[in-house]
Amino acid sequence: MSNTLSRKAAIVGIGATEFSKDSGRSEMQLACEAVKAALDDAGLKGSDIDGMSSFSMDNNWENEILRQVGGKELKFFSRTEFGGGAACGPFVHAATAIASGLCDTVVIYRALNERSGLRFGSGQMMNNSPLDPNIINFSHYFPYGFMTPAAWIAFSARRYMHEYGATSEDFGRVAVAMRDFAATNPNAFFYERPITLEEHQASRMIADPLRLYDCCQESDGAVAFVVTSVERAKDLANTPAVIASARQSIVKESRMMTPFYGETLSGIPEFDACAGEVYSMAGLSPSDIDVACLYDHFSPWVLPQLEAFGFCDRGEAKDFVKDGHINRGGKLPVNPHGGQLGEAYIHGMNGIAEAVRQIRGSSVNQVEKVDHVLITAGAGVPTGAAILERG
Amino acid sequence: MSDSSAADILERIKPLMHKRVGPYNSWNPVSRTQIWQWCSAMGDHNPLYLDDQYRAEHSEFSRDKAVAPPAMMQMWSMRDVNGNDGPGSTTDNLFEILAALEEEGYEGIMAVSYDQTFHRYLEEGDRAHHYSTIINVSDLKTTGIGKGFFVTQLAEFMDQNDELFAEARITYFKYQVPKKPAGASKPSAPGKINRIHPVENHDHEHFWQGLRDGKLLIQKCDDCGELRHPPQPMCEHCQSLNWSTIESKGKGTVYTYTVMHYPEIPPFDYPNAIVLVDLEEGVRIVSQLIGTKPDDIKIGMPVEMKLTEVQEDMTLPLFHAAGPKIEEKP
Amino acid sequence: MSDVNHKFKNVIASDLSVGDALPEFELPITAKLVVSTAMASQDFQDVHHDKDAAIAKGTPDIFMNILTTNGFVGRYLTDWAGPGSRIKKIQFNLGAPNYPGDTMIMSGEVTELSQDGEHHLAHVNFKGKNGMGNHVSGTAIVQLATVAG
Ligand SMILES: [Zn+2]
Repeated sequence: MSNTLSRKAAIVGIGATEFSKDSGRSEMQLACEAVKAALDDAGLKGSDIDGMSSFSMDNNWENEILRQVGGKELKFFSRTEFGGGAACGPFVHAATAIASGLCDTVVIYRALNERSGLRFGSGQMMNNSPLDPNIINFSHYFPYGFMTPAAWIAFSARRYMHEYGATSEDFGRVAVAMRDFAATNPNAFFYERPITLEEHQASRMIADPLRLYDCCQESDGAVAFVVTSVERAKDLANTPAVIASARQSIVKESRMMTPFYGETLSGIPEFDACAGEVYSMAGLSPSDIDVACLYDHFSPWVLPQLEAFGFCDRGEAKDFVKDGHINRGGKLPVNPHGGQLGEAYIHGMNGIAEAVRQIRGSSVNQVEKVDHVLITAGAGVPTGAAILERG
Repeated sequence: MSDSSAADILERIKPLMHKRVGPYNSWNPVSRTQIWQWCSAMGDHNPLYLDDQYRAEHSEFSRDKAVAPPAMMQMWSMRDVNGNDGPGSTTDNLFEILAALEEEGYEGIMAVSYDQTFHRYLEEGDRAHHYSTIINVSDLKTTGIGKGFFVTQLAEFMDQNDELFAEARITYFKYQVPKKPAGASKPSAPGKINRIHPVENHDHEHFWQGLRDGKLLIQKCDDCGELRHPPQPMCEHCQSLNWSTIESKGKGTVYTYTVMHYPEIPPFDYPNAIVLVDLEEGVRIVSQLIGTKPDDIKIGMPVEMKLTEVQEDMTLPLFHAAGPKIEEKP
Repeated sequence: MSDVNHKFKNVIASDLSVGDALPEFELPITAKLVVSTAMASQDFQDVHHDKDAAIAKGTPDIFMNILTTNGFVGRYLTDWAGPGSRIKKIQFNLGAPNYPGDTMIMSGEVTELSQDGEHHLAHVNFKGKNGMGNHVSGTAIVQLATVAG
């Protein structure tokens, strides 16, 4: 197929704040710190930015950030809806804008005090505006107390167990693998705190079948990226992480966190729909992928992602995981930073930063000879995926 | 940020830990009057405490001496109405650590947990005193009410023979009282927390009104006849905007479920079982499953709806396991 | 709630299975209850008897003191297990305050049955929930009576 965004743009800068339970500062400050760090990392200045992209859930406006980081003018700015499902959208937008000549250098950012501020997992997402599509959707769930992401995901996890014979231990193996990586990542919440499968099984039930260690830690922090044209990337110091392919994905069954009405709940139809094109746009296949940074806010959702992206057959991800393939030293290390289960929950953006570090060869848990990294955005919501390539 | 200063604080207060302070003496021996006052106020009519005949006939305790409810443990050596400890009590300050934290701006205090072991029930005439030791101070933690330190006190409750009759580990949260934003309102009257009311916009109000009218309504396309739930204005099969509703019989099977344990969100009872039901009519609906033990919930189990007024302004289609069919007698 | 008419009956080990529910107990919270129990437990802090002082400290009303919560937990356990029972351990976490006008509903469940020498022990989970959430939740170990009745 013809397309114009493949290999036209590259991530040349990454920046982040520390990840914590209480940042002690505003989301705006976190955003500015991360954007400045990403620019410094790229060797660029605020005045080099002419585009911006973020999550519609982000509370920091583009103009405010632009002014503070020394920028002058934006020709392009965009937002993506659907919480963590927005983690890949900004890269699609940035690459498209750059490929089309709309702009040259796009900053992507996400800053949140999701731990010290309003916690999604608390069940306190309340807004009574009849114009808010979230509350209109959630109105069919909140009156029953069905109001936490863990509980919504549990519906799917239960179906996955029912249809494929997976068990809580299969989810636990994902959590153990993430915590193993986090244990050697000094930036991770769970640095030096690995868990065993027994500890996973003993951890308290949150929303059956999800246990405490199946759930990510809510976090404060910010991550930012600088994306520019592959031509300009050649003049910069860092090894570019070229966007080989990137796609957003909504299917007719998509709902915000509550995709309960389609044919199946045991898969992720958004990824089933886009995986083929994510590979074909890049001219690659699953065997070309060296590392995957998959959205892991809850461990059960990692399994159907492995299936959708062709690393194993439907229903066989539990065996793929049991055989250790996603672990340190496995054939497809997943989330070598520790994922959101081990490092921090920054709406998936910390996983994309890890993908860039793996491409550069600069991760604390560096996998040998990484040419291609698959990245995914949130599961159970409208989402997206991309492949980064060593430039 | 403040992590280093938190470390400094901890460094400074550590030497104050593990210092056993006491005794704190009681003003009076264990007395029938105070036991009666406690039981009367608490509505506790356990005959063990004040019914001499019951005790004589049915317990290891003597007829003559009233027995103190074990939870009274802490009150015997409480201060009097003027804040004075009983005669002969130590003047050492147990709460040096708390005072040190107050100086650092951690002024709020809230007891968060009690962990008590009862070795012996006290009887009339016993004389209590206690010793206290701060046995743990946590790292700086952030909670819903602010930042602070969890401080755990071991209280040893002794009798006149210096024998331990009860002990408690009491944990307090010593926290920085968050500054109120300017113009913050006065504390409002304590209110009951209700279920969150659904937003009834143009596309959904018929559904909620139907429940109030005693009917579970499913949208039906007037042109192609397809059913749909949750409500939406356009038929996804034929794009018609014409629709009406049918009344569901409220029977179906569980397609999937979860049992929510944590966090416990008021006003719901936990564990809270949530089901996704395949209704016989062919649409799915989310609801609570009432009356089935979590371990007995199974995918595929038959369930039926009972419209329930869960609170004054809200009627919901709650589901129950469908019992075996009862044949009507001819 | 039927205070005075409560029929005390000992629960013995053979009556019990893990998973058994304790009967619910409903406690209407009144100012009289908060004040009288605070006095009975020798707790003279103003937030338990002086509404103006309580409001000045940022709470909407006077509220039940912890020793009283402890007392009601104890009462809840022995109302169920009977006068032949002996409370061995009570652990609890505190949550939403009990303000006058609210009602606390206590519930519980047997989670484990064990033996300590000749004594049978019932391990119980309990909670007291009011209109704002859990006022108290915890676990207890109760030594059961050896004879019924
Ligand atoms: Zn139609």
